[in-house]
Amino acid sequence: MTSVSALLESDGASIEVDDDWDTINNLYLQRGWSDGLPIVPPTTQRLEQMLAYCDRPWDQPVARIAPRWGDATPLRLAANAVMAGCRPEYFPILMLAIEAMCEEQFNLYGIQATTHPCAPLVIVNGPIVQELGINAGHNAFGPGWQSNATIGRAIRLALINIGGAIPGTGDMSTFGSPAKYSFLVAENEAASPWQPLHVERGFPAHASTVTIVGAENPHNVNDHESLSGLGVLKMIAGTVAITGSNNASAISMPTSGEALIVFGPELAATVAGDGYSKADVKRFLFEHARIPLGSFSDENIQRRLKVRSPELYAQAGPNAMVAAAERAEDFMIAVIGGAGKHAAFLPTFGTTRAVTRALKRRDGELARSVQELRV
Amino acid sequence: MSQKVVLAVPEAPPPPLTTLPPLRPLHAHALRLGVLDNSKGNADHLLAMIVEGVQSALPVASVVSVRKLGAGMPAPDDLLDRLTREADCVVSAMAD
Repeated sequence: MTSVSALLESDGASIEVDDDWDTINNLYLQRGWSDGLPIVPPTTQRLEQMLAYCDRPWDQPVARIAPRWGDATPLRLAANAVMAGCRPEYFPILMLAIEAMCEEQFNLYGIQATTHPCAPLVIVNGPIVQELGINAGHNAFGPGWQSNATIGRAIRLALINIGGAIPGTGDMSTFGSPAKYSFLVAENEAASPWQPLHVERGFPAHASTVTIVGAENPHNVNDHESLSGLGVLKMIAGTVAITGSNNASAISMPTSGEALIVFGPELAATVAGDGYSKADVKRFLFEHARIPLGSFSDENIQRRLKVRSPELYAQAGPNAMVAAAERAEDFMIAVIGGAGKHAAFLPTFGTTRAVTRALKRRDGELARSVQELRV
Repeated sequence: MSQKVVLAVPEAPPPPLTTLPPLRPLHAHALRLGVLDNSKGNADHLLAMIVEGVQSALPVASVVSVRKLGAGMPAPDDLLDRLTREADCVVSAMAD
């Protein structure tokens, strides 16, 4: 493997600056290489520590990140990981997440460049969650955990610095989103009454995976009163049935994509306790999360719904019901969080499909620990 | 005086354009205009105005207009192939 020092000597790979924290941070801010927060200087030594967890050539791209289509080499990803404050053992998850979100079906170009306030959400499953201490419990979407905060931040820095998601240029989001600082959680498998997300998506339980979802911030479903699965699901369906979501069928074209429903463990237990499987939950939401056609504006009815689905809406009156997703299986379900009677609805960009990838060794076998990936 | 330190540049440059497409001669001394509509609400109106403006300023032999299925995804290959075949230049609109 070529040394980090040698790689940094190549054209444009490094800069020499005064070894002063303020000077370095001001320079990285001025050059647009930051998310606005202070960064950890990506020194040769810190890069070496990060890349100790990468057994692939450090100067060969693992992906190209849209919309700039910049080469995501391990060296550049390591620089962004150091800047974000990642511990070296987090690096394999960063690499895996970047590779997954660059798969075509995820449509990273659209997610990066759209006016919609979405960001790649990473849901981690499997033994790696415990090994890296990724928070799946209380405040999982919030601050307080180094792994959640810094891996998520490293992803955002890579999307900016390598992918060119520069606000107003490559990232045209009207509002942006707090999720664009960091958006990484783990599924609370231990507290879930259902099959974990990665198993449902075809991976063995002992696999460590990332699932990437092009999602908005979580919108809470507060339900302290329902005592039955039916009650909880009615409250969630009511929250999902909104006109402005990209997932509302007939709004996004040509597809409405998937919507993510996150159950806190307590509400998941209530629903599962009444005999609802994940498939039952999806079917219930598909059948009951419906919006009266008359709730949409006339312009949307004429120019979107009737154009996209004339067979459904050309002759329909205002009381016709519009599904909040195209198919039952377009509802994704995960169990995340700590105690409390809450669920969450995360609408997605619509023109995107979630991607799940497993952490593997170079020989193609599933990695049981990040330590197997050390050089 | 501070010591110097070498730091990694986290940024990737855009990939270089390896080949530029050759300039296209105008077909029969008149422009074959292509229009790529991204399917958003105002795109067709904006593009119609642009076509009208171009037609009043330049000789236009033909206009080929295609519409994407959705704004959030790239135009499929068959649409791009058609524009490549039938147009000398293409106007695309976001029209949010």
